[in-house]
Amino acid sequence: MMKRLMTCWLLVVLLLTVPIPALGHELLDRIESFTLDNGLRVLMLPEDFAPVVHFHLMFDVGGIDEEPGLGGIAHMVEHMAFKGTETIGTRDFETEEALLQELEIAADQYFAALEEDDEGAIAEAEQRFMSLREELQELATPDVLHQLFDQFGGVGMNAYTGYDRTAYFVSLPSGRQELWLRVYADILDNAVFRYFYEEVDVVKEERRQRNEDEPTGYLREHFLREAFEVHPYGRPLIGSMEEISNYRYGPAREFWDQHYQPNRAVLIMIGDIDPEADRALVEKYFGVLESEPRHERPIPAEPPQQEQRRVTVEYEAEPEIMVGFHKPTYPHRDAYVLDVIRSLLGTGRTSRLHARMVIEEEKALAISVSSSFPGLRDPNLLVFHGRSRHPHKPEDLKQLLFEEIAKLQQEPVDPWELEKVVNQAQASFIRNLASPSGLAGQLATYELFLDGYENILDYPDIIASITPEEIQEAANAYLTKENSVVGILYTQGDHGGAEQ
Amino acid sequence: MKQTFLPLLLLALMLAWASSPALTHAEDWPDPFAMEFEPVEVTPVEPVSVTLDNGMTLFLLEDRSLPLIEGTAYIRAGANHEPEERIGLAQLTALLSRDGGAGDRSPEEVDRQLEYLAASVEMSASEPFATAGFSSLEHNVDEVLEVLADILRRPAFDARRMEIARGRLLESIRRRNDQPLQLAVREFIARVSEGHPSGRYSSIETMNAIEAADIREFHERFYRPNNIVMALSGDFNAEEMADRIEEYFGCWEARPWDAPELPPFDEFPEPVVYHVQRDLAQSIIFVGHPAVTFDDPDYIRLDVLNRILGGAGDNRLFEEVRTRRGYAYAVGSQVTQGFEYPGIFFAYSVSRVDKTAEVLELMRREIKQIVQEPVSEAELDRNRRAIVNRAAFRYASAKAVADRSALVNFLGVDPDYYARHMEIIEGLTIDELLDTAQKHLRPEDAVILVVGNEELFDRDLTEFGPVEAVELD
Repeated sequence: MMKRLMTCWLLVVLLLTVPIPALGHELLDRIESFTLDNGLRVLMLPEDFAPVVHFHLMFDVGGIDEEPGLGGIAHMVEHMAFKGTETIGTRDFETEEALLQELEIAADQYFAALEEDDEGAIAEAEQRFMSLREELQELATPDVLHQLFDQFGGVGMNAYTGYDRTAYFVSLPSGRQELWLRVYADILDNAVFRYFYEEVDVVKEERRQRNEDEPTGYLREHFLREAFEVHPYGRPLIGSMEEISNYRYGPAREFWDQHYQPNRAVLIMIGDIDPEADRALVEKYFGVLESEPRHERPIPAEPPQQEQRRVTVEYEAEPEIMVGFHKPTYPHRDAYVLDVIRSLLGTGRTSRLHARMVIEEEKALAISVSSSFPGLRDPNLLVFHGRSRHPHKPEDLKQLLFEEIAKLQQEPVDPWELEKVVNQAQASFIRNLASPSGLAGQLATYELFLDGYENILDYPDIIASITPEEIQEAANAYLTKENSVVGILYTQGDHGGAEQ
Repeated sequence: MKQTFLPLLLLALMLAWASSPALTHAEDWPDPFAMEFEPVEVTPVEPVSVTLDNGMTLFLLEDRSLPLIEGTAYIRAGANHEPEERIGLAQLTALLSRDGGAGDRSPEEVDRQLEYLAASVEMSASEPFATAGFSSLEHNVDEVLEVLADILRRPAFDARRMEIARGRLLESIRRRNDQPLQLAVREFIARVSEGHPSGRYSSIETMNAIEAADIREFHERFYRPNNIVMALSGDFNAEEMADRIEEYFGCWEARPWDAPELPPFDEFPEPVVYHVQRDLAQSIIFVGHPAVTFDDPDYIRLDVLNRILGGAGDNRLFEEVRTRRGYAYAVGSQVTQGFEYPGIFFAYSVSRVDKTAEVLELMRREIKQIVQEPVSEAELDRNRRAIVNRAAFRYASAKAVADRSALVNFLGVDPDYYARHMEIIEGLTIDELLDTAQKHLRPEDAVILVVGNEELFDRDLTEFGPVEAVELD
């Protein structure tokens, strides 16, 4: 009893010294939020640290919205959104539009010839297909968006596609808000998918670089395939090589038109902005866009796993291991409890797994634990990743992992550890405020998936409210052998027959 | 058979196109390329500079927006100064300073204290210097500074932690060929900088040769207050913070030291084509050679040339290799800043293995072209505007400003360097760029390194010069 009182006292002291509530409310007070008639949500946060503005446009669209067979198409259309519009990146759109239509006919013939494996027809169709592509290249400005934003001082222009979401972002010197708004409203309205088949080849190279020639990427792809039999979290985000090779303009365009609508997006602007004047600009450009009704596609739920699943791959690299446990996602309270477990197990040198595997037993080079893998819209995984130290084996790490999990299941967590995790959650909240791009990503994620950006403030408090009993219960409920997925990468020729 | 399908296909396609939004709002919108904006007014923020009696120099920048304090100490204790037979000594010393206990604290106590406070102290060593970075909430900063001071001044170098750190570094060596890009960068730098400390890499032998006494000696020799420049930024009053640093570091005695002489850098390494045989889905290509030091005014001109060739958001290599041909996802070029010795110019591509020779030829063609023909006025203008407009970001974060000021001082860079840089940019002409390219870029005499499966190459690499196979350990 005494110990418990002591703990509460410590927690209270800490909560009082870390000024989260004041900082959080001050943040919310400064955010100007509004929704356009077409459903686009806009959050503006004026900051006077420097004459710059960060733009972040996030859609609640990603890999899990793809139809089977079209794996990676969300990522492909993200690339296409960099190719310009009817008024940006063309020397003559009318001619270009006609040629783009011809190109699709030529592509049909070429793909049909490939299907029939008719050499003569292939050569003929390929010649037409390639010459149209060359003609089209003459009409287009390559890398037009990069060229445009670069000269106006844009920094960090990029985009990413996840399983759940897609985001486009860049920072610009202040005063150029109209430039960004004019260009991105146009992209939503009139994106032209130039260089489509050239970009298919670029994406194949991206896949080779990230998923084939990179051992962790290679293991991750096989691990997820094993972990999710039904849910699209099991498909490679970038698509399989076969799927990528078969991308065609029509289905890609259809995916874009169905999903990338103003009512599926949130726009965040942080920095040296003038909320009143900038709101007028947002309304001028994004306000005229129309939204299609939301395209609903049921995403199959992953049935509960009954027994441990295992996958092994061989690769020309030193071994590594991933162990995942199925778990619910936010706002289920257990998702927060498992975030605490993630930190207890894998955040920092004093975390249980680092202390045991890297320091005490010297069996691991490095370890990490992540939650909400590979996405947060649907039930996901808590995942351990480890690289063993020769001559120790990945299985040794697996054994230690399960031993540490057993301790979590059997013994209440030490108050010191829990306080440490709470302190770190609070400090992370403050550190996130220091990075405009990080903060924008978080606000957008809360707005799209967690019932409103205001809820960003609740996270440290929820973490602080989690009890040792809840941790034990969650460890017993989720971190079980039956609920686990084990993926191991073995050095080629050094196959681990041990893992049976 | 195919013919009969054509009209149907055409119809389907027309429908597909027609289903795109029919109304184009953008027709009434301004041409973004022609948009004009007021130049951004940048208010320079300068950190306060203080030198303690013991020679330790501080750059302090107040930023009261969040209750955070961060810092970076730059220490003249880099790998360039470690002995040939103990490569890895600087890195091991830095890692073990952090992890081996500090002052009266055991390694565990250091970790527990920092992590409970949600603070961090991390150390590492590169070729020219070592760094110690920290981050703390404002109200804990005294405790964190006390730990940092002990880590830098009184590291305990715990014997068991030393073996753990060495074991992890050895494991990293075992794994250093696993990622092809990392392997390619290492082998390329080793070839371009051959014979110079900056081109050396540790091995199992050099790592195992390091003894506890070597670490103590290295620390004793290089970790001195007069060898440290520290940046601090965040929620403090600069004067008070300088007093606190004085309190924690002031009694650390200065000791004169002689900067060890670095051996000369060979600016003309053999133009050999090095090939690393690996069964990969792609090939990785590096082409380059040493260039100039940062204080050569031509560095600034080379930087602009590099933007045009392969460094800017849109550039020639990206356009030719990626956008038009779809041969690569990652392609571009860089020119690194050289401080005590020349930086390196290089072009790189991670691309189709069956187009290896074609891509290499394209890369060389683009470098040659920039040497033989002036860039266009439009290219120069775009890149000049990009550089001028980016000035708005120079003061976007207090930490970045403090770190930069400290590093500029640490490396002995003229504080007016940036102003001179901008003057050169403003007056730059395409003829000057051509002269610079001709003086410093050597597409015919470059070191080439290719990692990939030669059985799948489109042509033999011998057409690019004498080929030498690289055997990995």
